[in-house]
Amino acid sequence: MAFTLYSLLQAALLCVNAIAVLHEERFLKNIGWGTDQGTGGFGEEPGIKSQLVNLIRSVRTVMRLDFQVKKKSIYLYI
Amino acid sequence: MNEALHPSSLAASKRRIPVSQPGMADPHQLFDDTSSAQSRGYGAQRAPGDLGYPSGSTSPQTAFLADPVSNMAMAYGSSLAAQGKELVDKNIDRFIPVTKLKYYFAVDTMYVGKKLGLLFFPYLHQDWEVQYQQDTPVAPRFDVNAPDLYIPAMAFITYVLVAGLALGTQDRFSPDLLGLQASSALAWLTLEVLAILLSLYLVTVNTDLTTIDLVAFLGYKYVGMIGGVLMGLLFGKIGYYLVLGWCCVSIFVFMIRTLRLKILAEAAAEGVPVRGARNQLRMYLTMAVAAAQPLLMYWLTFHLVR
Repeated sequence: MAFTLYSLLQAALLCVNAIAVLHEERFLKNIGWGTDQGTGGFGEEPGIKSQLVNLIRSVRTVMRLDFQVKKKSIYLYI
Repeated sequence: MNEALHPSSLAASKRRIPVSQPGMADPHQLFDDTSSAQSRGYGAQRAPGDLGYPSGSTSPQTAFLADPVSNMAMAYGSSLAAQGKELVDKNIDRFIPVTKLKYYFAVDTMYVGKKLGLLFFPYLHQDWEVQYQQDTPVAPRFDVNAPDLYIPAMAFITYVLVAGLALGTQDRFSPDLLGLQASSALAWLTLEVLAILLSLYLVTVNTDLTTIDLVAFLGYKYVGMIGGVLMGLLFGKIGYYLVLGWCCVSIFVFMIRTLRLKILAEAAAEGVPVRGARNQLRMYLTMAVAAAQPLLMYWLTFHLVR
């Protein structure tokens, strides 16, 4: 039963990293998850897919702005 | 001048005389007290007692009062402490909402008893709505349906202790295993909370289910886990499976009935099956959350009962 809080932290860091390294042009557009294809206007129902697309885009934006935080967390991890 | 102070010192049974003259800065005054009392002669018979508590009850006071430097240092230190306390009080509210937390701990014995009964037997309870009072939910003391953090917190700690007990009866105990159990249970709880928050965001549910509410609801399963493990200790595997099965079904029903009111739309809460992809998705979410509880209850306890 070695599932500790630290391993949870590690997993979260790796997940954020994985989302950050998804390439916009080569990958997301090909499976229709590009940021310009997502929101289809101000409808009532955003839907799961557009929520996911927005989530990925916001995580990537936060990652781009917050380099210091990311560097420190990587140093802590290592 | 110091001779004049002797009679007053002799009058008080345990007082020591101030060593330094006023105006002489002596930061080691406290520690010189015993030696100076000995050197004065009459402190000899009290020296063993004095050495027993080097910073004795009355000597620091007399020492502080006499020495301006220590006086200043004490004033500065106390002002620093007051500033630090202010800073902590101001900032703690940013990270941990203390006033909101107080709501969750406003419980009394009757509430705890009724809630525990509800956790083990939720089948007869009719009304699951939380009563409101001028737009704020009523404190748990007054309404059985309100979530609280007292039972989950106590149940978590009891779970760790019972896990230690179970491991001890099987000769598998070591102190770091306790910390491992606690950390593991906390990690699963955090993972559950994050997963549920993520799925609530994805399904765009407009709910007043706060994070703390969610932690409270997810913490109720520890009560069932404790029951299962204790029965397992007393009656072996049969008892464990029986009680755990009962508690799993109870927690399943409890979670569904509680979350249905929070996640699903009002119409669906009345029991009318509403069509539409959105409500169906929400129903699936509720069922998934409720189904994850028995699974986690089994996963966190089966290794404790042999």
